[in-house]
Amino acid sequence: MASFDGFEYDVLIVGSGAGGGMAAHILTEAGIKVLMLEAGRDYDPVEETPMFQMNHEAPLRGESTSDKNFGYFDATVDGGWEVPGEPYTNAEGTTFRWWRARMLGGRTNHFGRYVPRFNDRDFKPFTHDGLGVDWPLDYDEMQPWYDKTEKLVGVSGNNPGVYDVPDSGEGVLQPHAKPRVYELLVEAACKKLGLPIVPMRRAVLTRAQDTREACFNATDCGRGCSIGAAFQTTTSVIPWAKDTGNLKVVTDAMVKEVHLSDDGKASGVTFVNRKNMQDVRVDADYVILAASACETARLMLNSTSEKFPNGLANSSGQVGRNLMDSTGADFTGYIPALEGRPKYNEDGLAGNHLYIPWWDYEGQDDGSVKFKRGYHLEIGGGFGEPGMGTGNGADGYGKSAKDQIRKKYGSGIYFALRGEMVVNENCYCEIDPDVKDKWGIPVLKFHWKWSDEEYNQVAHGMEWTEKLIKAMGGYVTSPKRTPEEALLPGGLIIHEVGTTRMGDDPATSVTNKWGQTWDVDNLYIMDGGVFASNPHKNCTITILTLAMKNATKLAEEIKNA
Amino acid sequence: MHKSYSPKVSRRDSLKWIGKMSTTVLIGGVVVACDTADQPMPEVKGTSHWPNLTFDPIMGPKYGQDPDMTNPTTPWARTLTQDQLNLIAHLSDIICPADEGGPSATVVGVPDVIDEWVSAPYEAQQNDRVLILNGLQWLDDEANMRNGSSFMNSSSDQQIAIIDDIAYEKQAEIAEFEHAVMFFARLRSLVFGAYFSSPEGIEDIGYIGNEPIIGDYPGPTEEAMAHLNEVIANLPA
Repeated sequence: MASFDGFEYDVLIVGSGAGGGMAAHILTEAGIKVLMLEAGRDYDPVEETPMFQMNHEAPLRGESTSDKNFGYFDATVDGGWEVPGEPYTNAEGTTFRWWRARMLGGRTNHFGRYVPRFNDRDFKPFTHDGLGVDWPLDYDEMQPWYDKTEKLVGVSGNNPGVYDVPDSGEGVLQPHAKPRVYELLVEAACKKLGLPIVPMRRAVLTRAQDTREACFNATDCGRGCSIGAAFQTTTSVIPWAKDTGNLKVVTDAMVKEVHLSDDGKASGVTFVNRKNMQDVRVDADYVILAASACETARLMLNSTSEKFPNGLANSSGQVGRNLMDSTGADFTGYIPALEGRPKYNEDGLAGNHLYIPWWDYEGQDDGSVKFKRGYHLEIGGGFGEPGMGTGNGADGYGKSAKDQIRKKYGSGIYFALRGEMVVNENCYCEIDPDVKDKWGIPVLKFHWKWSDEEYNQVAHGMEWTEKLIKAMGGYVTSPKRTPEEALLPGGLIIHEVGTTRMGDDPATSVTNKWGQTWDVDNLYIMDGGVFASNPHKNCTITILTLAMKNATKLAEEIKNA
Repeated sequence: MHKSYSPKVSRRDSLKWIGKMSTTVLIGGVVVACDTADQPMPEVKGTSHWPNLTFDPIMGPKYGQDPDMTNPTTPWARTLTQDQLNLIAHLSDIICPADEGGPSATVVGVPDVIDEWVSAPYEAQQNDRVLILNGLQWLDDEANMRNGSSFMNSSSDQQIAIIDDIAYEKQAEIAEFEHAVMFFARLRSLVFGAYFSSPEGIEDIGYIGNEPIIGDYPGPTEEAMAHLNEVIANLPA
């Protein structure tokens, strides 16, 4: 047993987000002692979340800046697409932007709480369309673990009987929220066009559960949630793990290297104590990396040894490769029929109550759809809290201009396309040989290139959102763009996965289906890096589910050892 | 016309005009993708008398990536001169006068918000600062050319005559007003953004929310549903 600061433990976890938090919960519940290292500072949502502060209380009315990319009240601490002193680089002519958060709980503190599970096809993409690779597991194997994870997380939603949205088990889901007027109007348009529209599965409690309250239908989930209704590891799995007495968390611990013992096992890590810049070496019998897909890949690539000159557990050469984000493109419209509609409270669960899942699997199979992987459409609109953007869209001045803005309030509609990209060899990260961060750690250099698969998908989304807007009697307000212009740069959707992918073959994958690296049998990866593909369904619930499943197996192994 | 605007909240710092003026450099700027004010200024290409003032950048302090979110404070000093603030206050009330729906812009402190905005050490706001301050200068220059006096010292009718030439989007096609129209559009957007996000503006526009509702979200009211059903019944075929 290793020990640190008087605490004895079996397992060392790097990272406290979805994967690390869930792994810590499962292991500590099983009586296994865990040391968790988090690069960012300690963070307590109960004390720190700005729940009811309004835009006018914040600098610049809460607008986004280079300091706070999602606005002043976003939960992210010491993070964003740029972190001072912690750069990354892009290969010439390519753009990838890497979001990080330096805080306990990582990015679970601010994510959208949109948690759709993958379906059978999502795990076997190669089998269906010949692109990319299949996962080394299938939906039947994942299904009971999705149920357990959704139950633990607390997911509101329903089983709509739509292929893209597999059923959850009986009694797993909590009731979903009633749709709002603009969502019901989109629903009417969907009916006319033959598109499905269903309640969005959200990691937002509508019923109190364990230590957490039900959502009280106010405040933006991106700020974090002091009552625990919106899932984040800092109000759930981490405090629960601490309560077992089996978890010690060390924050401000930026891990720079994983050590390899002479017998080929991971023996521990060295981290930089961010408060005094000192290197600290800690041992461990088992190491779980859950630092986020790219940070984990960086750590492995920076951990070289005689046995692994190209990076720890990287005999396949796949560490850092197969990087994927979701596609993203945003489309706006204006619906004159909604002008002056009766006011009421449209806060609800803050995010979508309804969304449009992917509908045309048939078209993909018969070739009438010119891309292989699907997307969904998230819906925005409504009577949101006014901000600086509310001032846009008037002409002239005086009372007539003031009235124009009053009339337009609540009449805009917004569709966010979020789709699956197909893995390609041009998207990867590697260590930049020339640049180090402020901790002296070599940084990542990103390479990125979309393919026609993604451009064709965005073209399709552009066409269908226009149909939807017109079916509501509205007009498109997005500027006229080509699909190439409309597709947001890689990294903007913050769903990056794939850099340490799992598989059946040690020659083409980094881990087996349990997240255990092929090369180092006591080294596990439990973040999004293990994804073999990146279905259009946001990655967090699958990261959580894999971590629950794989940590459960690891716990059994440790107890049987 | 010489009404002096008094800030609605105390100023943290003495009003300090830190911009250094020159008239030689063209305006141009690129907004960092994550800064979200409006469009950057394109290069000046019109034939008008746009002042082309440039300013030393405002370097900080910024609030950083870990501000106290439950007790927000603004760490940078405001930089508008009293004359500029007075002109902005005057324009704010022309853009957003009091009416039956709510008070005027100055009553809810809009000029303070704009002062904070153009003084912020972020790239998007700094681009706005260049546009707004040039716009204010343009107004005085235009008033001097037309009326032989500054904008504030011109008569109400003379002021409105100038505003009527630059307040509408389509006037951007007139070369001599191209930049002034952009300036006015941006100022209008800031004035209404600041107004409608103020407590009085929130009430005016009718936002209902940011209050806990215990239990299930009630959804649309009967009245809202009746309106929606009417809309759906009349959707295009």
